[in-house]
Amino acid sequence: MTSSTNAEIKKEKCENHQECMKLIQAVLDGSASAIEMEHFKNNIEQCTPCIEGFELEKSIKDSLHNKVEKKCCPTSTIQQLKLKLGITALFIVGVLFEFNAVFCN
Amino acid sequence: MEINEDGIEEHSDQELVKRIYSDTEKYQIFNKEFMPHIDAMYNFAYRLTNDEDDANDLIQDTYLKAFRFINSFQEGTNAKAWLFRILKNSFINDYRKKSKEPSKVDYQEVETVYNSVEDAEFESTTDLRLESVQDMIGDEVALALNGLPIDFRTVIILCDIEGFTYEEMAKILDIPIGTVRSRLHRARNLLKEKLRSYAKSMGYKELR
Repeated sequence: MTSSTNAEIKKEKCENHQECMKLIQAVLDGSASAIEMEHFKNNIEQCTPCIEGFELEKSIKDSLHNKVEKKCCPTSTIQQLKLKLGITALFIVGVLFEFNAVFCN
Repeated sequence: MEINEDGIEEHSDQELVKRIYSDTEKYQIFNKEFMPHIDAMYNFAYRLTNDEDDANDLIQDTYLKAFRFINSFQEGTNAKAWLFRILKNSFINDYRKKSKEPSKVDYQEVETVYNSVEDAEFESTTDLRLESVQDMIGDEVALALNGLPIDFRTVIILCDIEGFTYEEMAKILDIPIGTVRSRLHRARNLLKEKLRSYAKSMGYKELR
């Protein structure tokens, strides 16, 4: 994805592909700088390996985000945690304390 | 401000004067800002440990630590990143040694190897077809992810599954943004290699 003056000719070989892929990944991750975004927009269409690299990276990223199962925390774990913290009882005590402070003073 | 062994930033007494929560405030922050992230945290714990029991223990330890050090958390800031940082440090300190995962590889060792063979590695990852990835189901992608060394797996989980920015990842992992970027790049090359091998073994569409 190195700069080219002739936009109509697509390069079949990218001489700096590893660095281009880092840039492409930053773009896909939403963490590219404004200068990097500009470079990406101006050059991506001119380089066949970079276009293919972009599509493959995007597909893998989408698969990881959308296809890999997201495990949910079991209810029993949440209950155990709350028991350990005494969170329900203490929260009620806290609310009652504030209630008393407001209405009894 | 100092960082304790759990990776939590502890403030000096003078700083703490500004931020000591009452018990009621602590429980409110815990319920309102910490608990909404418990599913994402559990998923991260499970992907790190590959074991439901370990993930349960890790989650409970992390949330108990978060509560204990709640005065180090500034209400309204990035609670999710703060919690992920504690979980990651708890995993490294307490669980990594006893994890049931058979092979653990030191990150520095892996990074050195992949720095030296990056060009060769690139050649071998270019023949992964887009269609093969699109055809894979979630379990197959998860299997490839689970096959990565822990430090590479971690950056991919944080970035691609949880959607953290590089800046947030740098804070969670306590490394510079440039290192986040290069580690992600190497992790993805490794993942592509795993996916390519898997696609080949499963007879997905012919490689180029």
